[in-house]
Amino acid sequence: MAKTPPIRILLAKLGLDTHTVGVTVIAHALRDAGMEVIFSGLKQTPEMVANTAIQEDVDVVGVSSLSAGHMRNIPMLARLLREKGGGDKLLIVGGVIPEEDMPMLLEAGVSKIFTMGADTRDIIAYLQAWRAAQAVAAPAS
Amino acid sequence: MDRAPAVLQGDVGAGARVIRWLEDEDPRGREHLARLYPHTGRAHLIGVTGPAGVGKSSVVDIIITAYRARGLKVGVVAVDPTSPFTGGAILGDRVRMQRHAADDGVFIRSMGARGQMGGLARASFDAMLVLDAMGYDVVLVETVGVGQDELEVVSLTHTTVLISAPGLGDEVQAIKAGLMEVGDVLVLNKADRDGAHQAMSQIELALHLREISAPDATWRPPLVAATATRGEGGEAIVDALQAHRAHLEDTGEFAAQAARRAYHVFVRVLGDVARARLLDEALIRADARALIDEVRARRLDPHAAAATLSAALRIGALEPLS
Amino acid sequence: MNEPRPPRDFTPDPAAELEAHEASWRTETRGPYLQRHPERKEAFRTQALKWDIKPLYTPADLEAVGFDYLKDSGFPGEYPFTRGNNPNGNRSQLWTMAQVTGFGRGLEWSKRARYLLDQGLQGLILEYDLPTTNGYDSDNPLVAGEVGRAGMALDSLEDLEQAFDLPFDKLKYLMSVCNAPQPINLAMIIAALEKKGVDPKDFVLHIVNGILIEYTCVGRYIYPPEHGMRIAADCFEYIVRNHPHWQPISIIAAQLQPARANPVQEMAFSISIAMEYIDAMLARGFDIDTIAPYFHFVINVDMDFFEGVCKLRAFRKTWAKLMRERYGATNPAALKLRYMSSPATASLTLQQPLNNIGRLAIMATACALAGPGETMTTPLHDEAHALPAEEAIRVGAAIQHIVAHETGVADTIDPLAGSYYVEALTKKIEDEACAEIDRIKAMGGALKAIEQGYFQRVLGREQYERNRDLETGARKLVGVNHLVAPEEKRELEIWRLDDEMEQTQIEKLRQLRARRDNPAVEAAIERVREAARSGANLVEPCLEAVKLYATHGELCDALRDVFGVHHADSQTVGV
Repeated sequence: MAKTPPIRILLAKLGLDTHTVGVTVIAHALRDAGMEVIFSGLKQTPEMVANTAIQEDVDVVGVSSLSAGHMRNIPMLARLLREKGGGDKLLIVGGVIPEEDMPMLLEAGVSKIFTMGADTRDIIAYLQAWRAAQAVAAPAS
Repeated sequence: MDRAPAVLQGDVGAGARVIRWLEDEDPRGREHLARLYPHTGRAHLIGVTGPAGVGKSSVVDIIITAYRARGLKVGVVAVDPTSPFTGGAILGDRVRMQRHAADDGVFIRSMGARGQMGGLARASFDAMLVLDAMGYDVVLVETVGVGQDELEVVSLTHTTVLISAPGLGDEVQAIKAGLMEVGDVLVLNKADRDGAHQAMSQIELALHLREISAPDATWRPPLVAATATRGEGGEAIVDALQAHRAHLEDTGEFAAQAARRAYHVFVRVLGDVARARLLDEALIRADARALIDEVRARRLDPHAAAATLSAALRIGALEPLS
Repeated sequence: MNEPRPPRDFTPDPAAELEAHEASWRTETRGPYLQRHPERKEAFRTQALKWDIKPLYTPADLEAVGFDYLKDSGFPGEYPFTRGNNPNGNRSQLWTMAQVTGFGRGLEWSKRARYLLDQGLQGLILEYDLPTTNGYDSDNPLVAGEVGRAGMALDSLEDLEQAFDLPFDKLKYLMSVCNAPQPINLAMIIAALEKKGVDPKDFVLHIVNGILIEYTCVGRYIYPPEHGMRIAADCFEYIVRNHPHWQPISIIAAQLQPARANPVQEMAFSISIAMEYIDAMLARGFDIDTIAPYFHFVINVDMDFFEGVCKLRAFRKTWAKLMRERYGATNPAALKLRYMSSPATASLTLQQPLNNIGRLAIMATACALAGPGETMTTPLHDEAHALPAEEAIRVGAAIQHIVAHETGVADTIDPLAGSYYVEALTKKIEDEACAEIDRIKAMGGALKAIEQGYFQRVLGREQYERNRDLETGARKLVGVNHLVAPEEKRELEIWRLDDEMEQTQIEKLRQLRARRDNPAVEAAIERVREAARSGANLVEPCLEAVKLYATHGELCDALRDVFGVHHADSQTVGV
């Protein structure tokens, strides 16, 4: 009779950008979809986010990036996650990412990029689909 | 894969995974806890509680800073409420302590209360045990607020820090809730606000009354003023916490409490299992369903119905009403 | 004995007659129509406030809110200024037409600034990069990748000296948008002007100095709120005492809009914030009639036409009433709300950017009808795409000229007054905003509300609700969820400043530190710390330090040493 445990997701803002409308909206939407949302706060470094992701053993790391540092910060975060044993966590990015930068980010380990104004229902559906696929691949004993 | 050795080495990923299993009621969690349990009992377990708005997370933040300055490793379990409707939660306590995210000597774990999954205390307490086994010297558990579950956590820790702040009326609230009886270290946060002096006096009065009603008590809870947002008070709080630990060691209570705690958890878990099992089996019986119909139709009151069923099941001391 | 019957009265009762007529209209005229043509929406609500919109407003609605023309509307240029600050509206002079300019490193900014001055613009806005607004030097490892992107990198007086290679005979007004490090920024500008030989009396410097809005929703703060407030008051006071014709504040209420504040919240929060500044200055010995005229607001108008119009009218009236009734101001300049209006960027879409030209025209018209204030600024229709292109600038300017010269809306004063809907909505917005202002006052004022996370939580909730409306289709946005065109190739022209620029800035800093008198700089920085500790005004010691080429980051750090750093938690972020 065990209920399915909720998805745990870390929402982080890398860099100096302090726009919070996006993370606020997404945090509430994910909570309403039954997920546990851990918010890291603002002005995080890749190291802080990676450590947090490991400690919290989240399923998903969601990075909000609205300033221009994404090309440096996000690949660094992906690398740190792998080094610390969190390479199997889903890494998704939201914000203002120019199209020409997307391939590089996807190469670096980002699974999906949701540009500004993405429908939260799409994000939720994506995460749930990912979760379902994980369960099929490695069912808990 | 057996992660217990890695956990005992203090491996963050392994410890985090075991905590997750315990939280999700994955059987691997129990298996690992069995192996880890003999290695627990070293850490100082501290519960941090108080009404909403007093600044618990900020106080935990400065406690961490002060312990780290003394070279001790700190684990934190921070609990936030889960929505009863969606099962989701926004776990935001960590933001307040996030400056420690790059410090290897600090492990912070956010938890949703997940009311449906067996209650706050068990998953949080299990997480604390894992952190204990990992080698953290101090493990703090920060609760949602003030209530029944939180009292549960209080009984599962060595030291309880009770936080209040001026102007929230909580001095009165806390007295009403009876928590004044259980606080080992009292903190008045936001001590820079108006009304701090009055609040201090009220708390001191409550402590005085407590002393009078328990004259044999060997520990006199100190009252520490703090302004966590300015980083003030952390040292004094940790002095008090370490003093309480020393007191527990001196009186043999440190180990004795652990024994009581283990018993308490055993009884609680047993009770939960028994309850679930009993209800599962009892409620599907034909005689149970008939009694339920009677109760619903107001022909029989609930107590009488329960007495009848328990007599039929031969459990309990309730005499059937003839 | 029966009581004598009162004489029968045949005087017509207009209100009753109206009511009867309306009732019959509903059943006899409108009713049958509705049977054949049901309404196109379940509920009609205003966009942000979500208030019900009736099918029809009549004089009865004015009765219902107790509308009194002289008390509630009055005359333009007279208390309570609902019909406008200017006694002749826009008939003598049109509002000043302005646009946002500026980006990039010092030299880029000057080049663009010189171009705009040549085009006849007289005022410019100085915006800074994220390291600067957050109090870091360009060579701080924390800010790698951010230098010079969101605006100018201002590390030291040297950067401004280079940027100010401008024809100051043409430049009469400069606005500097730098809130948390305001005293350092102010000091650098003053020092740079001195070096250029510009007479401060010939020139207006306008500092935004808006730290409380940063705590509320923008997020570029450094120090804990009470110290942020002290810093802001120091800058305010310094200007009032030394350059009284300069502008020490701008309450950018418009920044609350991207954070999804509705008109009532926008008014209540921004006015409460202004009151916090007023109280701080009164505590420093100034009187309301001297201080209030300094207040300047930037107010947006969003796509809901009537919410925008009524908000501007209610804003003027509420400010006037507050200044007179709560503060006892008597100086007419203290009672008038000084402001700049602007169409909101929040409702411009990334998709089908040309549609935004239409949106801008509508919002600009709303501003003009309601009274645009001293200045109207048009954002650019492709603003969502990043950086201003020449054509977008031209279109933005043209929109204002079209509204001003081709529509006639500016040719009479406050023409929407008297509309039953407009007056009813204006009054309702005013009443709700005043109630919220009182609630905030009961919490202890804006600073306390911010410290407790009240503004942030309220806005967090609004953000969530509005986004949901968009996703469920409850709110239609053309190009986004209505009349969506097939996926078009979007050219995101994100400005690509090369990394070389960051390296140049870092090298510049290294050389600066090498050639300046470091012991003197250290001593000057220590004097800044002392002023921070003692409560003395920070601007003067900052001025001395910047002239010795102390850097922006060094001075911000000095203040960090004394004030500590503000850590937000999830409550005060609004998540």
